[in-house]
Amino acid sequence: MKDSQAFDHRPDPELGAALRGALDPNDDQKAFVARVMAQYERALDRATVPTIDVLASWFRPGIAAAAAALIAGFLLGRTVLAPAPASIDAAMALVDGPGLAALVTASDPPDASVVFSSLVDER
Amino acid sequence: MGSSEEDKGLVAKALAGDRAAFGVLVERYAAQARRVARGVLGDPDDADDAAQDGFLSALVKLAQYDTRRPFGPWLMRIVANAATDRRRRRNVRQAEPLDPALVGGGPRPDAAAIRSELGARLRTALGELPERRRMAVVLFDVEGYSHAEIAGILGIPEGTVRSEVFHARRRLRTLLADWKEQAR
Repeated sequence: MKDSQAFDHRPDPELGAALRGALDPNDDQKAFVARVMAQYERALDRATVPTIDVLASWFRPGIAAAAAALIAGFLLGRTVLAPAPASIDAAMALVDGPGLAALVTASDPPDASVVFSSLVDER
Repeated sequence: MGSSEEDKGLVAKALAGDRAAFGVLVERYAAQARRVARGVLGDPDDADDAAQDGFLSALVKLAQYDTRRPFGPWLMRIVANAATDRRRRRNVRQAEPLDPALVGGGPRPDAAAIRSELGARLRTALGELPERRRMAVVLFDVEGYSHAEIAGILGIPEGTVRSEVFHARRRLRTLLADWKEQAR
């Protein structure tokens, strides 16, 4: 064994042998090898089959999710893009004038001349 | 352990679906993989489970193996990862409990018992080291991998491997020297 304070780039045979003795399973490995090989086919199956299974399992939910997203997007887009109804104040601000006052306060249907005059006043 | 070229030939056959070729690789590396896994996990049954996981994972990933590089370090990286994953899942710091009779330096009926006592002490000491440190010393002093190869296996810089091996050795050599002193 070497000086414990020295930095050595080579393996320490004594320590290595002691550790090997401590970690060795102390059997002939045959049982372990047989155990691994017993899982050989299953491991390969697990590695290949799931790829197809996963894709298949994703297909239907994927289509459904895509359709739902499409519908939701359409509805949302329609809501966002539809022109908002103008408020009465905004409308009156645009066409403010005596003609408009007569138009909105009259109890009877307005005469066509009133409507035209309110537009002419605005211009 | 077989030569690197033989390993590559076996890998090629295994990739082509030769079950027996993969079996030869398992035979070649079983002892090493089990020791490395036990270095991480302590418990021999857990270690065998992890080593098995490692071999089967390697089988599935065999197409990813770069044949320009040696097979052993590639496989040991997978085994070490399998052991580390199992250890994390277990979420218990592994330190194999010592037989109280051994701690007290009880009677030693024969050489086998003495070896067993040293083994138990070393496993306990390994279990007390940080995981990366004990993996580094096992891979270097037990399995004979170079610092560069261990750096590849553990995914750490080569200088860190040297440092880890140095610190692990300091602890284990002290224990070994004390044990030899007591054994006289």
